[in-house]
Amino acid sequence: MRDRRKGILRTRLLAQAGVLLLALVAALAPVYWMLTISLKTEVDQFAIPPKWFSFTPTLQHYTDAFVTRSFGQYLLTSAIVAVVSTLFALVIGTLAAYALTRFRLPYHLDRKLSLWILSTRMFPAIVTAVPLFLMMRDLRLLNTKASLIVVYTAFNLPFVVWMMRGFFAEVPRDLEEAALVDGDSRLGALFRVVLPLVAPGLAATAVFCLIVSWNEFLFALVLTQTDAAMTLPVGIAGRVTQYEIKWGVMSAAGVVAMMPILIFALAMQRYLVRGLSLGAVKG
Amino acid sequence: MPRSKRFSSALNRRELLLPYLLVAPALVVLLALSIYPLVYSITISLQQETTTGVVWSLVHFKRLASDGFFRTAMVHTLVYAVAALTCEVLLGLGLALLLNQQIRGRGLFRASLLVPMMLPTVVVGVVWRLLLNPNFGAINGTLKRIGINTESLTWTASPRLAFLAVIAVDVWQWTPFVFLVLLAGLQAIPQEPYEAALIDGSSRWQTFRHVTLPLLKPAILIVLLLRTMDLLRVFDQIFILTEGGPGFATEMISLYIYRTAFRFFDFGYAAAMSFVLLAVTNVVSVVYLKVLQDER
Repeated sequence: MRDRRKGILRTRLLAQAGVLLLALVAALAPVYWMLTISLKTEVDQFAIPPKWFSFTPTLQHYTDAFVTRSFGQYLLTSAIVAVVSTLFALVIGTLAAYALTRFRLPYHLDRKLSLWILSTRMFPAIVTAVPLFLMMRDLRLLNTKASLIVVYTAFNLPFVVWMMRGFFAEVPRDLEEAALVDGDSRLGALFRVVLPLVAPGLAATAVFCLIVSWNEFLFALVLTQTDAAMTLPVGIAGRVTQYEIKWGVMSAAGVVAMMPILIFALAMQRYLVRGLSLGAVKG
Repeated sequence: MPRSKRFSSALNRRELLLPYLLVAPALVVLLALSIYPLVYSITISLQQETTTGVVWSLVHFKRLASDGFFRTAMVHTLVYAVAALTCEVLLGLGLALLLNQQIRGRGLFRASLLVPMMLPTVVVGVVWRLLLNPNFGAINGTLKRIGINTESLTWTASPRLAFLAVIAVDVWQWTPFVFLVLLAGLQAIPQEPYEAALIDGSSRWQTFRHVTLPLLKPAILIVLLLRTMDLLRVFDQIFILTEGGPGFATEMISLYIYRTAFRFFDFGYAAAMSFVLLAVTNVVSVVYLKVLQDER
């Protein structure tokens, strides 16, 4: 009996290890393949059978993309748009979230407003992309960073409000009340007592906004079509849909586009599930 | 005494106004960039340009009924969403059940699984174009190496395979997310019901069916809700991978709306179609939320 149970346990462990390994390979091999393509000469790229490990790496595609072509500029645009829109969304969203968790408004307005804010995030992007294009055209803001910054701020705002609501709710009220009794104003208590306590949550939320803005594609595609204004994803997409595709350049740009995201994501693993589910699951 | 009273009432009034002042900027931004565009969109969907100017009409909505492409794109989207969702939940649930315990190297495992889902969708498209390329892609190359004839495996050039491919891409990218949420859900389940089931002599299947599944239901519903919303509006990866092709084989509703607006510049009709998509996603989310609320 004990031997049999041991046997079952061992099979289970083996099965687990096997599944783990399989899942790891399935998740990482496709990305690794892109990395190799970005480092291979064109001859090696087209080699059959595919060369997974044995090839002489070259950085030629990276210089080709970021020095010869305009990918350096797209990269800069992506960074500016992501950082500025994240800052706006954080400031506006955090203040709103604080008000919606700490004040009881008449007619349950605090709850209703929170739900309404969340519902704006549920629109499929294409629904707002069409009118936003026409609005930006009327305002002569097409092909500007400003248009993307404004749109991404609004896009991230519901997310910031919901994430920060969750983090504020975890701070005990007594701490603020003590500060208020000591003569602090409401905002003084927010900045001196509450914000330091939710700083890790604020950082996680910021990283999330950065990732979303950095990865966003549809609005950027619709709103920016010139070299001076387009973001990295739009730049990459432009190369992919051309007739003659430079696979190496495209892969190099893809690798560069994913690097900051991966670093950020690993840095805030702990909050990842919570962020991806808009605070619904506290992973 | 009266002075200090007036002072405190002024303070109170400020206190009363403060929440509105704090919420106002967020509301202004959302009204301007989420609600106004929606109103704008409704307006153009109900207008028609004629030789004498712009007139109100239902022509765009009438066209929906007779547009075969629209219907096909809608069916594609629904089939795609149901297929991808099914695979993701089954795979994610299986993985979560199997790995719901302390495992060596779990941090590393979790970190690796994050890679696909954090990737920019455009990069996901690029990765899979590289893999699926019939000439030098890693998939056909590897299959050839182990002796499989890959001549008919043209992936994005064959309608049927292209549709399978776009489903596979989403399953690849999002199964880790389903897994992580369900794992978090599993780990939040207390031990007592399991001990009770053990004492009752329940089989493993019975325990799963009557203990695990009901307690996991909220997590499953949240995953279903979030994934369904994303799947119904899918655009980026498919735009890069197949552009809706070959022909119309992988055309999804968002791609068709995009093409109508930005290739044919028929903004009114595109707006009309986008409201159908909005209605569908709304109905789906309301149903999920209703079930979720009943659950709690």
